[in-house]
Amino acid sequence: MAQIAAQRYTGASVKRSEDPRILAGRGRYIDDLKLPGMLHAAFVRSPLAHARVLAVDAAAARALPGVVAVLTGADLEAVTIPGQDPLFAMMAGPGPKPEYTLLATDKVRFAGDPVAVVVAESRYLAEDGCELVEVDYEGLPPVVSAAFALDPASPPLFANLGDNIIGPHKRSEFGDVAGVFAAADRVAEFRIDVHRHQNVPMEGRGCVASYDAGSGTLTVHAATQSVHVTRMGAAMRLGIDADKVRVVAGDIGGSFGLKIGASREELAVAAASRALGRPVKWVEDRSENLAASGQAREESFEVRAAVSADGDLLGLDVAMVIDTGAYPVMGTMVPGIIEMMLPGPYKLAALGFESTAVTTNKASYIAYRGPWASETFVRERVLDLLAKDLGLDPLEIRLRNIAPRTDPPFTMITGRPLAGVTAKESLERIAEVVDIPAFRRRQAEERARGRYLGIGLATFIEAAPGPRSPEGRSGPMGMEFMRLALAGDGVVTLFTGQMPHGQSHQTTLAQIAADEFGVPFEQVRVVVGDSDVVPFGLTGGSRSATMTGGAALHGARQLKGKVLDFAAHLIEASAQDLEIVDGQVQVRGDPDSAIPVAEVARQAASGEFGADVDTNLEVEASFDGGEGGWSGGSHCAIVEVDAETGLVRIERYVAAEDCGALINPAVVEGQIRGGIAQGIGAVLLERSAYDQDGNYQSATFMDYLLPTACDIPRIEIEHLQTVPLDADVNFRGVGEGGMIIAPPTLVNAIEDALTPFGVRIYEQHLPPARILELIDTADAG
Amino acid sequence: MPVKLPHVEYEVPATVAEAVDLLAEHQDEASVLAGGQSLIPLMALRLARPAVLIDINGLGEMSGVSVSDGRVSIGAMTREYVAEESETVADAVPLLAAALPLIGHEAIRSRGTIGGSLAHADPAAELPAVALALDAELVVRSRAGDRVVPAAQWFEGYLATSRRPDEILVEVRFPAAGPGTGAAFQEVARRHGDFAIVGLAASLTLADGAISDARLAFAGLGDVPVRAADAEALLVGEEPSAELFEEAARRATDGIDPPADLNGSPEYRKKVAATLVRRGLRAAADSARHNSARHNSARHNSARHNSAHAHERP
Amino acid sequence: MDITVSVNGAARAASVEARKTLADFLREDLDLTGTHVGCEHGVCGACTVIVDGRAVRSCLMLAVQAAGSEVTTIEGLAPDGALGPLQQAMRDSHSFQCGFCTPGFVMQASAFLRAHPDAGEQEIREALSGNICRCTGYQSIIDGVLLAARRSREG
Repeated sequence: MAQIAAQRYTGASVKRSEDPRILAGRGRYIDDLKLPGMLHAAFVRSPLAHARVLAVDAAAARALPGVVAVLTGADLEAVTIPGQDPLFAMMAGPGPKPEYTLLATDKVRFAGDPVAVVVAESRYLAEDGCELVEVDYEGLPPVVSAAFALDPASPPLFANLGDNIIGPHKRSEFGDVAGVFAAADRVAEFRIDVHRHQNVPMEGRGCVASYDAGSGTLTVHAATQSVHVTRMGAAMRLGIDADKVRVVAGDIGGSFGLKIGASREELAVAAASRALGRPVKWVEDRSENLAASGQAREESFEVRAAVSADGDLLGLDVAMVIDTGAYPVMGTMVPGIIEMMLPGPYKLAALGFESTAVTTNKASYIAYRGPWASETFVRERVLDLLAKDLGLDPLEIRLRNIAPRTDPPFTMITGRPLAGVTAKESLERIAEVVDIPAFRRRQAEERARGRYLGIGLATFIEAAPGPRSPEGRSGPMGMEFMRLALAGDGVVTLFTGQMPHGQSHQTTLAQIAADEFGVPFEQVRVVVGDSDVVPFGLTGGSRSATMTGGAALHGARQLKGKVLDFAAHLIEASAQDLEIVDGQVQVRGDPDSAIPVAEVARQAASGEFGADVDTNLEVEASFDGGEGGWSGGSHCAIVEVDAETGLVRIERYVAAEDCGALINPAVVEGQIRGGIAQGIGAVLLERSAYDQDGNYQSATFMDYLLPTACDIPRIEIEHLQTVPLDADVNFRGVGEGGMIIAPPTLVNAIEDALTPFGVRIYEQHLPPARILELIDTADAG
Repeated sequence: MPVKLPHVEYEVPATVAEAVDLLAEHQDEASVLAGGQSLIPLMALRLARPAVLIDINGLGEMSGVSVSDGRVSIGAMTREYVAEESETVADAVPLLAAALPLIGHEAIRSRGTIGGSLAHADPAAELPAVALALDAELVVRSRAGDRVVPAAQWFEGYLATSRRPDEILVEVRFPAAGPGTGAAFQEVARRHGDFAIVGLAASLTLADGAISDARLAFAGLGDVPVRAADAEALLVGEEPSAELFEEAARRATDGIDPPADLNGSPEYRKKVAATLVRRGLRAAADSARHNSARHNSARHNSARHNSAHAHERP
Repeated sequence: MDITVSVNGAARAASVEARKTLADFLREDLDLTGTHVGCEHGVCGACTVIVDGRAVRSCLMLAVQAAGSEVTTIEGLAPDGALGPLQQAMRDSHSFQCGFCTPGFVMQASAFLRAHPDAGEQEIREALSGNICRCTGYQSIIDGVLLAARRSREG
């Protein structure tokens, strides 16, 4: 592994350049924006899960002073182009697509489905207007469960599909599935369920759309993970040339996968601005966010596991059903990733995988941090269930089954090489940090006193970015682009399509570029959030560390080359003999020759050089991910379960993680802890609950329970020594791992605590009442 | 799904008498705005839409804690944090002192009031259970004068009390605890500061080693707080013991029929209620013993020893 | 209704509808957008400000109720853009990520530390448990408050 030039910032917990603004209340979030003449939108939403819309009467609302317009589904249908969610449109495979309008016209498909938008002089007045819009519904039988959706008798949500199967049943086999199962000592069967829960960033969705009729341009101030995807979505659905749409984003109050592209509401707001010729703001309120912005993870798995008598997991055969909710966004794409990732870092010799995706009358299944996380939950749960049956320790069964690190690397049965994976090392590190035998002794003593302690382990890998393809042709995640320029004031300016919403890109990318270029950290500026200025990009899929980090590194290197080429005209030396040290260009080792980078930039802009001298100190860089690599690790939780109340206290939580070379340890640790907190929330607190009629039960923060400072323990983090694969870029993504691995870690610990009761757990959500139920119904024999 | 309050008329009476006049005028159309920590969110969600708000936050005469004739009187507008910091409350109403820190969060208690919580009458809240357990008296005022309502007759249903539309709650009176009294408020909630799935207000007085007074009331088991009179009767005259508390738990939960919601089935609540009785009585007895000892030696400092509050975590 | 409120030390007069919350008044009428609204039903704590010395939720208070009161918002803690000691400790601790919950945490922690300068970790966790952060898992925030408390003790 080549040393990164001048290791000053990369690898250090450099203080975030975002913080002085944010801590002083000077962030600029979407709701902080005020444009002259701006109006405010609020949506009329369906109270029913499934119904025909017979009539919408907006006369009374339109007559309310302060209400400027009410646009119904039919009004917007007339001025927009039908289509799919941009993410679905980009990534869904062939086959019939559901047809629907921007706002409901003929029918509503979930409780919260938008039917009309009221635009008024204030949000208060817009909400007053919403109350006056009368919608006449004819109820249809709600399709609330995947089981009912699979029933051919269920009323189809989308007439043109004919049924509620949006992702038809599909089966793949890797390895000799039949042979492995026939030869196994035993075959265990389980059904494992993962419950619906959701992103819930502290800031919901929102936008301010402003259409300028004179120039025919639309500006959307958006909270988005990609200004370009939002721009594409708005251009397509509004029928405007993409070059006449500008999307601008400021600070974003979290997202976790929610704010990709352009939602139906945001497009409706943009259409309303064009129709009214005035800027229109919509800021999602919390109930809308919980009921209508989208949810994730409702999946069930029928699992067969082929296992040897001494604990070798030989094969898995898994049938998955995914409940994608009403309007398809992400759901149909999840089974494919789960299939690919299910073997994890283990030596699995055979995998059968089948999946079916159904639509139901619930909010859409959207991307949420680690969208494929259930594969880890299923696998790590199965390992513990098997260990119990075989009398093995959870650590033992994992170490036994983990693929050894070999050269060439072991290849997952689904095809990807496990190059540089340190799963085994992470488990060993956990065993070093946590004295498991001592815990077992304490556990036995406490059990005798009626206290129930448990320990849980789990291991994951994440393709962040994933390895280069075995043939070496393609990078792991496509291309990442970056424009870099030396500005006239000597500031190295990075233009990236990444759209940070908490990830600290303005700090981390600057660290990398500062080191590589040779300027102080403060002399690097990272420009984000303007589709007119930044190259294409998207923040998501844990791609930015490798892909954008790599683009910053190689881009800064390229820019430096160009700057030195030009500086050679100022300093009488050849470019190869020049270096940049601490913002000064100089002949190697000769500080007396130094010229500040700013002076070089000023000279380049002076116009005093002929056409034969390249004075354009700007480069377009790209990066294909290099050799890539895996992120991953093992986590361990120690819990106490109160068997009389069902409450769970997490006594200790240890994460051993390998996310490659750390750019900024404090930022990395923040991502790990934040992901773990969401995973803990999913298990103990969070559920997107629907009743049998499809009424949403979790539409306020009194019902959808997020973890607080009293629910998340101090989290100990161990960083593992990375196996470098690339000459330069070994930073790997770390945004999703905590959310992927915390749920099985915690559930495994809870099951371990409840061993004396004979409890076996086949689900992810364990609120206190459910834990007592499990104790009561377990066969303690 | 609105979040902005609907239009409302707003009145700021300068005296309680003015507030009473406004209530007489507007009756059911008006809501009294005290701390607003329950009323304002209900209005924001447009689940409550009074035509008129009568804001009593300026009525200093309705705020404060005082003791006389063995009773502690707390003005209805007394903010929860003020009661929480009150030495008088800590000394003389240990059960209330135990319950106060469990109400919501700091910022809620900055505004929330004793009277507001009792008038709102959320059956899962702490103060209604405390008032019921202690046989508090609620003083309501109308143009007809004052009426004193025993707590047992105050709670009539979910968010419903026997306050008449023209009456305003002005004061709550708690009996001052005798020597040898210990109290505990125990609850099981999903998170710190949440409404209890089940809560228990427990107070025991010990005399010569035996229980001379026992008070138990549940939050979260129905539309109103629920007193466990059978269990109280069982306890009085007996010496504290694990067996006794076990039997009290059985009696306290035998006939109850708790509701189901996202947080728990009736069976779950029943089981937790029994657990809380065992734990609450144990904690109250410990605290009572401590207080007896303290009373016998010297009566001094650390009033907080009078009470134990626990937000359940194993 | 016409009201006068002292906000961050300056008297601000305005005419507001009775139904407008203090949070909306600060943000819309006074352009003090540092105070964020995260749920508008009193659970998330993002809108926490200090009124007459106590941390309160500005979404659970009407603007008209603040008449005559002293209100401090996040902008009042860093009047010239320079961070106060708590904010600096939070920066040094990498307390926050997306920044949306930040003003509420800073205000709540600031009020709490003033009253409990010697608070330990568990007390701080409980005091901040009415504020929700979705990014950090809280440890970095708690560490920031502990650091501020330690610095203030050490002078």
